[in-house]
Amino acid sequence: MASRVTSDSPNSDASGSASQDHEKEDSKNFECNICLDTARDAVVSMCGHLFCWPCLHQWLETRPTRQVCPVCKAGISKDKVIPLYGRGSTDQQDPREKLPPRPPGQRAEPENTGPFPGFGFGDGGFQMSFGIGAFPFTFFASTFNFGNDGRPAPPQAGSPQHADEQFLSQVFLFMAVFFIIWLMLA
Amino acid sequence: MSTQNIDPAASGARNKDMSDKGNKPKDTHSVSKRLQQELMSLMMSGETGVSAFPDGDNLFKWVGTLQGAEGTVYEGLKYKLTLDFPSSYPYTAPVVKFDTPIFHPNVDTNGNICLDILKEEWSALYTVKTILISIRSLLGEPNNNSPLNTHAAELWENQVAYKKLLLEKYKKDVTDKESS
Repeated sequence: MASRVTSDSPNSDASGSASQDHEKEDSKNFECNICLDTARDAVVSMCGHLFCWPCLHQWLETRPTRQVCPVCKAGISKDKVIPLYGRGSTDQQDPREKLPPRPPGQRAEPENTGPFPGFGFGDGGFQMSFGIGAFPFTFFASTFNFGNDGRPAPPQAGSPQHADEQFLSQVFLFMAVFFIIWLMLA
Repeated sequence: MSTQNIDPAASGARNKDMSDKGNKPKDTHSVSKRLQQELMSLMMSGETGVSAFPDGDNLFKWVGTLQGAEGTVYEGLKYKLTLDFPSSYPYTAPVVKFDTPIFHPNVDTNGNICLDILKEEWSALYTVKTILISIRSLLGEPNNNSPLNTHAAELWENQVAYKKLLLEKYKKDVTDKESS
Protein backbone atom coordinates (compact mmCIF):
# COMPACT_ATOMS: atom_id res chain seq x y z
CA MET A 1 0.00 0.00 0.00
CA ALA A 2 2.79 2.43 0.88
CA SER A 3 4.25 2.08 -2.54
CA ARG A 4 1.01 3.24 -4.04
CA VAL A 5 0.98 6.44 -1.99
CA THR A 6 4.52 7.30 -2.96
CA SER A 7 3.91 6.40 -6.57
CA ASP A 8 5.88 8.68 -8.86
CA SER A 9 3.07 8.99 -11.34
CA PRO A 10 3.03 12.65 -12.44
CA ASN A 11 -0.73 13.00 -12.32
CA SER A 12 -1.16 11.50 -8.87
CA ASP A 13 -3.56 13.24 -6.56
CA ALA A 14 -5.06 12.35 -3.23
CA SER A 15 -8.63 11.65 -4.38
CA GLY A 16 -10.18 8.21 -4.06
CA SER A 17 -10.60 7.68 -7.78
CA ALA A 18 -6.90 8.33 -8.29
CA SER A 19 -5.92 5.62 -5.83
CA GLN A 20 -8.22 3.24 -7.69
CA ASP A 21 -6.51 4.22 -10.89
CA HIS A 22 -3.19 3.47 -9.29
CA GLU A 23 -4.36 0.08 -8.25
CA LYS A 24 -5.25 -0.62 -11.83
CA GLU A 25 -1.96 0.83 -13.04
CA ASP A 26 -0.09 -1.39 -10.62
CA SER A 27 -1.70 -4.55 -11.87
CA LYS A 28 -1.14 -3.34 -15.44
CA ASN A 29 2.55 -3.18 -14.70
CA PHE A 30 2.55 -6.95 -14.40
CA GLU A 31 0.57 -7.72 -17.50
CA CYS A 32 2.09 -9.86 -20.19
CA ASN A 33 2.82 -7.80 -23.27
CA ILE A 34 1.34 -10.46 -25.51
CA CYS A 35 -1.88 -11.74 -23.93
CA LEU A 36 -2.48 -8.46 -22.05
CA ASP A 37 -3.37 -10.48 -18.96
CA THR A 38 -1.49 -10.81 -15.68
CA ALA A 39 1.65 -12.72 -16.55
CA ARG A 40 1.71 -16.38 -15.51
CA ASP A 41 4.94 -18.37 -15.55
CA ALA A 42 6.45 -14.94 -15.91
CA VAL A 43 9.76 -14.36 -17.60
CA VAL A 44 11.54 -11.09 -18.27
CA SER A 45 13.76 -10.40 -21.26
CA MET A 46 17.21 -8.84 -21.01
CA CYS A 47 15.64 -5.63 -22.30
CA GLY A 48 13.30 -5.71 -19.29
CA HIS A 49 9.98 -6.66 -20.85
CA LEU A 50 7.62 -9.01 -19.07
CA PHE A 51 5.84 -11.93 -20.70
CA CYS A 52 4.09 -15.16 -19.85
CA TRP A 53 6.51 -17.87 -20.83
CA PRO A 54 3.92 -19.71 -22.99
CA CYS A 55 3.15 -16.47 -24.84
CA LEU A 56 6.79 -15.59 -25.46
CA HIS A 57 7.57 -19.18 -26.42
CA GLN A 58 4.90 -19.13 -29.06
CA TRP A 59 6.11 -15.76 -30.33
CA LEU A 60 9.62 -17.15 -30.71
CA GLU A 61 8.27 -20.29 -32.40
CA THR A 62 6.21 -18.24 -34.83
CA ARG A 63 9.28 -16.50 -36.21
CA PRO A 64 12.33 -18.70 -35.65
CA THR A 65 14.50 -16.69 -38.01
CA ARG A 66 13.85 -13.32 -36.47
CA GLN A 67 13.80 -13.56 -32.70
CA VAL A 68 13.09 -10.08 -31.42
CA CYS A 69 11.41 -8.65 -28.36
CA PRO A 70 7.80 -7.81 -29.28
CA VAL A 71 8.06 -4.55 -27.34
CA CYS A 72 11.40 -3.01 -28.32
CA LYS A 73 12.60 -5.35 -31.09
CA ALA A 74 15.86 -6.05 -29.30
CA GLY A 75 17.32 -9.46 -30.03
CA ILE A 76 16.13 -12.09 -27.54
CA SER A 77 16.47 -15.82 -27.20
CA LYS A 78 15.14 -18.61 -25.05
CA ASP A 79 18.36 -18.74 -23.03
CA LYS A 80 18.43 -15.03 -22.36
CA VAL A 81 15.16 -14.61 -20.49
CA ILE A 82 14.97 -14.66 -16.72
CA PRO A 83 12.18 -16.50 -14.93
CA LEU A 84 10.47 -14.50 -12.18
CA TYR A 85 9.48 -16.18 -8.93
CA GLY A 86 7.08 -14.20 -6.76
CA ARG A 87 6.60 -14.92 -3.07
CA GLY A 88 3.06 -16.14 -3.64
CA SER A 89 3.97 -18.70 -6.21
CA THR A 90 4.46 -22.14 -4.74
CA ASP A 91 5.73 -23.54 -7.98
CA GLN A 92 9.45 -22.86 -8.11
CA GLN A 93 10.06 -24.76 -11.30
CA ASP A 94 11.78 -22.84 -14.07
CA PRO A 95 8.91 -21.88 -16.37
CA ARG A 96 11.14 -22.42 -19.37
CA GLU A 97 11.26 -26.12 -18.53
CA LYS A 98 7.54 -26.63 -18.78
CA LEU A 99 7.01 -25.92 -22.41
CA PRO A 100 3.48 -25.53 -23.58
CA PRO A 101 2.46 -28.62 -25.52
CA ARG A 102 3.81 -28.06 -28.95
CA PRO A 103 1.61 -28.58 -31.98
CA PRO A 104 2.12 -32.05 -33.45
CA GLY A 105 4.52 -32.32 -36.36
CA GLN A 106 2.84 -32.69 -39.69
CA ARG A 107 4.34 -35.41 -41.83
CA ALA A 108 3.21 -35.56 -45.42
CA GLU A 109 3.73 -38.81 -47.32
CA PRO A 110 5.95 -38.45 -50.39
CA GLU A 111 4.20 -38.14 -53.72
CA ASN A 112 4.07 -41.41 -55.67
CA THR A 113 5.06 -40.26 -59.11
CA GLY A 114 7.26 -43.23 -60.06
CA PRO A 115 6.11 -46.33 -62.00
CA PHE A 116 6.00 -48.46 -58.84
CA PRO A 117 3.29 -47.07 -56.60
CA GLY A 118 3.98 -48.06 -53.04
CA PHE A 119 7.50 -49.18 -53.86
CA GLY A 120 9.01 -46.83 -51.31
CA PHE A 121 7.06 -48.51 -48.53
CA GLY A 122 8.97 -51.77 -48.83
CA ASP A 123 11.37 -52.52 -46.05
CA GLY A 124 15.14 -52.58 -46.43
CA GLY A 125 15.34 -56.32 -47.17
CA PHE A 126 13.10 -56.05 -50.18
CA GLN A 127 15.15 -53.30 -51.74
CA MET A 128 18.38 -55.18 -51.14
CA SER A 129 17.20 -58.42 -52.79
CA PHE A 130 16.04 -56.40 -55.76
CA GLY A 131 19.53 -54.98 -56.13
CA ILE A 132 21.25 -58.37 -56.08
CA GLY A 133 18.78 -59.94 -58.47
CA ALA A 134 18.45 -57.17 -60.98
CA PHE A 135 21.96 -55.91 -61.29
CA PRO A 136 23.68 -59.03 -62.72
CA PHE A 137 20.70 -59.63 -64.96
CA THR A 138 20.99 -56.29 -66.66
CA PHE A 139 24.73 -56.74 -66.68
CA PHE A 140 24.54 -60.07 -68.52
CA ALA A 141 21.85 -58.78 -70.82
CA SER A 142 23.95 -55.84 -71.87
CA THR A 143 27.25 -57.71 -72.09
CA PHE A 144 26.09 -60.65 -74.18
CA ASN A 145 23.47 -58.59 -75.97
CA PHE A 146 20.58 -61.06 -75.70
CA GLY A 147 17.91 -60.48 -78.25
CA ASN A 148 17.70 -57.94 -80.98
CA ASP A 149 16.54 -54.83 -79.18
CA GLY A 150 17.10 -52.38 -82.02
CA ARG A 151 20.42 -51.04 -80.84
CA PRO A 152 23.18 -50.42 -83.42
CA ALA A 153 25.33 -53.46 -84.19
CA PRO A 154 28.63 -53.76 -82.30
CA PRO A 155 31.60 -52.29 -84.16
CA GLN A 156 33.94 -54.40 -86.27
CA ALA A 157 36.67 -56.36 -84.43
CA GLY A 158 40.01 -54.53 -84.58
CA SER A 159 38.51 -51.03 -84.93
CA PRO A 160 39.37 -48.49 -82.22
CA GLN A 161 35.70 -48.47 -81.09
CA HIS A 162 35.84 -52.23 -80.61
CA ALA A 163 38.95 -51.93 -78.43
CA ASP A 164 37.29 -49.19 -76.40
CA GLU A 165 34.17 -51.27 -75.87
CA GLN A 166 36.20 -54.26 -74.84
CA PHE A 167 38.00 -52.17 -72.30
CA LEU A 168 34.75 -50.66 -71.05
CA SER A 169 33.05 -54.01 -70.70
CA GLN A 170 36.03 -55.29 -68.72
CA VAL A 171 35.77 -52.29 -66.44
CA PHE A 172 32.06 -52.95 -65.95
CA LEU A 173 32.67 -56.64 -65.37
CA PHE A 174 35.22 -55.81 -62.73
CA MET A 175 32.85 -53.33 -61.11
CA ALA A 176 30.03 -55.85 -61.13
CA VAL A 177 32.16 -58.55 -59.54
CA PHE A 178 33.42 -56.09 -56.98
CA PHE A 179 29.88 -54.93 -56.24
CA ILE A 180 28.54 -58.47 -55.80
CA ILE A 181 31.40 -59.41 -53.50
CA TRP A 182 30.88 -56.21 -51.55
CA LEU A 183 27.17 -56.98 -51.21
CA MET A 184 27.91 -60.51 -49.98
CA LEU A 185 30.40 -59.29 -47.41
CA ALA A 186 28.26 -56.42 -46.23
CA MET B 1 10.68 -47.53 -39.93
CA SER B 2 7.47 -48.87 -38.45
CA THR B 3 5.52 -45.81 -39.54
CA GLN B 4 6.50 -46.50 -43.13
CA ASN B 5 5.03 -49.97 -43.15
CA ILE B 6 1.46 -48.92 -42.77
CA ASP B 7 -0.96 -48.74 -45.65
CA PRO B 8 -0.20 -45.55 -47.55
CA ALA B 9 -3.86 -44.82 -48.13
CA ALA B 10 -4.67 -45.15 -44.46
CA SER B 11 -1.72 -43.01 -43.48
CA GLY B 12 -2.78 -40.37 -45.98
CA ALA B 13 -6.17 -40.19 -44.37
CA ARG B 14 -4.62 -39.97 -40.96
CA ASN B 15 -2.29 -37.19 -42.05
CA LYS B 16 -5.21 -35.25 -43.41
CA ASP B 17 -6.94 -35.54 -40.05
CA MET B 18 -3.84 -34.35 -38.31
CA SER B 19 -3.28 -31.38 -40.56
CA ASP B 20 -6.93 -30.41 -40.16
CA LYS B 21 -6.39 -30.40 -36.46
CA GLY B 22 -3.20 -28.38 -36.86
CA ASN B 23 -4.92 -25.71 -38.91
CA LYS B 24 -7.65 -25.32 -36.39
CA PRO B 25 -6.96 -22.72 -33.77
CA LYS B 26 -5.28 -24.59 -31.00
CA ASP B 27 -6.63 -22.28 -28.40
CA THR B 28 -9.34 -19.98 -29.70
CA HIS B 29 -10.18 -19.19 -26.13
CA SER B 30 -6.96 -17.27 -25.54
CA VAL B 31 -7.38 -15.37 -28.80
CA SER B 32 -10.92 -14.30 -27.98
CA LYS B 33 -9.82 -13.46 -24.47
CA ARG B 34 -7.16 -11.14 -25.81
CA LEU B 35 -9.63 -9.57 -28.26
CA GLN B 36 -12.05 -8.99 -25.40
CA GLN B 37 -9.26 -7.34 -23.42
CA GLU B 38 -8.54 -5.10 -26.39
CA LEU B 39 -12.19 -4.19 -26.78
CA MET B 40 -12.37 -3.26 -23.10
CA SER B 41 -9.27 -1.09 -23.18
CA LEU B 42 -10.29 0.52 -26.47
CA MET B 43 -13.67 1.47 -25.04
CA MET B 44 -12.16 2.70 -21.79
CA SER B 45 -9.38 4.72 -23.39
CA GLY B 46 -11.62 7.13 -25.29
CA GLU B 47 -8.96 7.56 -27.95
CA THR B 48 -9.86 10.46 -30.24
CA GLY B 49 -10.23 9.85 -33.92
CA VAL B 50 -10.33 6.04 -33.84
CA SER B 51 -12.91 3.49 -32.78
CA ALA B 52 -13.58 -0.16 -33.46
CA PHE B 53 -16.13 -2.77 -32.56
CA PRO B 54 -16.66 -6.43 -33.42
CA ASP B 55 -18.83 -6.97 -36.47
CA GLY B 56 -21.89 -8.72 -35.07
CA ASP B 57 -21.25 -11.79 -32.94
CA ASN B 58 -17.97 -12.63 -34.59
CA LEU B 59 -15.16 -11.49 -32.33
CA PHE B 60 -12.63 -12.28 -35.05
CA LYS B 61 -13.93 -9.65 -37.44
CA TRP B 62 -14.03 -6.03 -36.42
CA VAL B 63 -15.14 -2.83 -38.05
CA GLY B 64 -13.03 0.21 -37.28
CA THR B 65 -13.57 3.86 -38.04
CA LEU B 66 -11.02 6.60 -38.12
CA GLN B 67 -11.25 10.32 -38.62
CA GLY B 68 -8.58 12.24 -40.46
CA ALA B 69 -6.25 14.02 -38.06
CA GLU B 70 -6.55 17.78 -37.63
CA GLY B 71 -4.10 19.77 -39.70
CA THR B 72 -3.89 17.13 -42.44
CA VAL B 73 -5.70 17.08 -45.75
CA TYR B 74 -7.85 14.26 -44.36
CA GLU B 75 -9.26 16.47 -41.57
CA GLY B 76 -13.00 16.02 -41.24
CA LEU B 77 -13.13 12.87 -43.37
CA LYS B 78 -14.29 9.60 -41.87
CA TYR B 79 -13.21 6.16 -43.07
CA LYS B 80 -14.38 2.67 -42.25
CA LEU B 81 -11.96 -0.26 -42.08
CA THR B 82 -12.31 -3.99 -41.62
CA LEU B 83 -10.01 -5.99 -39.38
CA ASP B 84 -9.83 -9.75 -39.82
CA PHE B 85 -8.08 -11.62 -37.05
CA PRO B 86 -6.42 -14.95 -37.87
CA SER B 87 -6.60 -17.73 -35.31
CA SER B 88 -2.86 -17.20 -34.78
CA TYR B 89 -3.46 -13.64 -33.57
CA PRO B 90 -1.59 -11.89 -31.94
CA TYR B 91 1.40 -13.83 -33.24
CA THR B 92 0.47 -12.85 -36.77
CA ALA B 93 -1.02 -9.56 -37.86
CA PRO B 94 -4.72 -9.07 -38.61
CA VAL B 95 -5.72 -8.30 -42.19
CA VAL B 96 -6.69 -4.64 -42.20
CA LYS B 97 -8.41 -3.05 -45.18
CA PHE B 98 -10.16 0.19 -45.92
CA ASP B 99 -13.85 -0.41 -46.45
CA THR B 100 -14.46 3.18 -47.51
CA PRO B 101 -12.62 4.00 -50.76
CA ILE B 102 -9.70 6.26 -49.93
CA PHE B 103 -7.32 8.28 -52.09
CA HIS B 104 -3.96 7.78 -50.44
CA PRO B 105 -0.42 6.95 -51.69
CA ASN B 106 -0.20 3.77 -49.57
CA VAL B 107 -3.68 2.36 -50.13
CA ASP B 108 -4.72 0.66 -53.36
CA THR B 109 -8.13 0.78 -55.01
CA ASN B 110 -9.23 -2.38 -53.17
CA GLY B 111 -8.47 -0.85 -49.80
CA ASN B 112 -5.28 -2.83 -49.15
CA ILE B 113 -2.87 -0.93 -46.97
CA CYS B 114 0.90 -0.98 -47.35
CA LEU B 115 2.13 -0.52 -43.80
CA ASP B 116 5.20 -2.24 -42.40
CA ILE B 117 3.71 -2.98 -38.97
CA LEU B 118 0.95 -4.99 -40.67
CA LYS B 119 3.56 -7.06 -42.48
CA GLU B 120 7.18 -7.76 -41.61
CA GLU B 121 7.33 -5.39 -38.66
CA TRP B 122 4.30 -6.89 -36.91
CA SER B 123 4.69 -7.46 -33.20
CA ALA B 124 2.43 -9.29 -30.78
CA LEU B 125 2.35 -6.10 -28.75
CA TYR B 126 0.29 -4.17 -31.30
CA THR B 127 -3.40 -3.89 -30.67
CA VAL B 128 -6.42 -2.72 -32.61
CA LYS B 129 -5.92 0.65 -31.00
CA THR B 130 -2.26 1.02 -31.99
CA ILE B 131 -3.00 -0.26 -35.50
CA LEU B 132 -5.73 2.31 -36.02
CA ILE B 133 -3.58 5.09 -34.56
CA SER B 134 -0.74 4.06 -36.88
CA ILE B 135 -3.03 4.08 -39.91
CA ARG B 136 -4.42 7.45 -38.86
CA SER B 137 -0.94 8.91 -38.72
CA LEU B 138 -0.09 7.22 -42.03
CA LEU B 139 -2.86 9.30 -43.61
CA GLY B 140 -1.06 12.53 -42.74
CA GLU B 141 2.44 11.16 -43.35
CA PRO B 142 2.39 8.83 -46.33
CA ASN B 143 5.42 6.89 -47.44
CA ASN B 144 5.73 8.16 -50.99
CA ASN B 145 8.78 6.01 -51.70
CA SER B 146 6.76 2.80 -52.08
CA PRO B 147 3.33 3.91 -53.22
CA LEU B 148 0.42 1.65 -54.12
CA ASN B 149 -1.33 4.62 -55.68
CA THR B 150 1.31 6.43 -57.74
CA HIS B 151 -1.06 9.20 -58.76
CA ALA B 152 -1.66 10.10 -55.13
CA ALA B 153 2.06 9.91 -54.37
CA GLU B 154 2.92 12.27 -57.20
CA LEU B 155 0.19 14.71 -56.29
CA TRP B 156 1.08 14.72 -52.58
CA GLU B 157 3.68 17.48 -53.07
CA ASN B 158 0.95 19.85 -54.15
CA GLN B 159 -1.24 19.78 -51.05
CA VAL B 160 -3.83 22.23 -52.41
CA ALA B 161 -4.47 20.20 -55.54
CA TYR B 162 -4.32 16.97 -53.50
CA LYS B 163 -6.96 18.19 -51.08
CA LYS B 164 -9.17 19.32 -53.95
CA LEU B 165 -9.02 15.94 -55.66
CA LEU B 166 -9.36 14.10 -52.35
CA LEU B 167 -12.54 15.99 -51.43
CA GLU B 168 -13.94 15.44 -54.92
CA LYS B 169 -13.33 11.72 -54.68
CA TYR B 170 -14.64 11.53 -51.12
CA LYS B 171 -17.82 13.32 -52.19
CA LYS B 172 -18.26 10.97 -55.15
CA ASP B 173 -17.42 7.74 -53.29
CA VAL B 174 -18.87 8.42 -49.86
CA THR B 175 -21.14 11.42 -49.43
CA ASP B 176 -23.16 10.87 -52.60
CA LYS B 177 -23.55 7.17 -51.94
CA GLU B 178 -24.73 7.76 -48.41
CA SER B 179 -27.35 10.26 -49.49
CA SER B 180 -28.60 8.21 -52.42
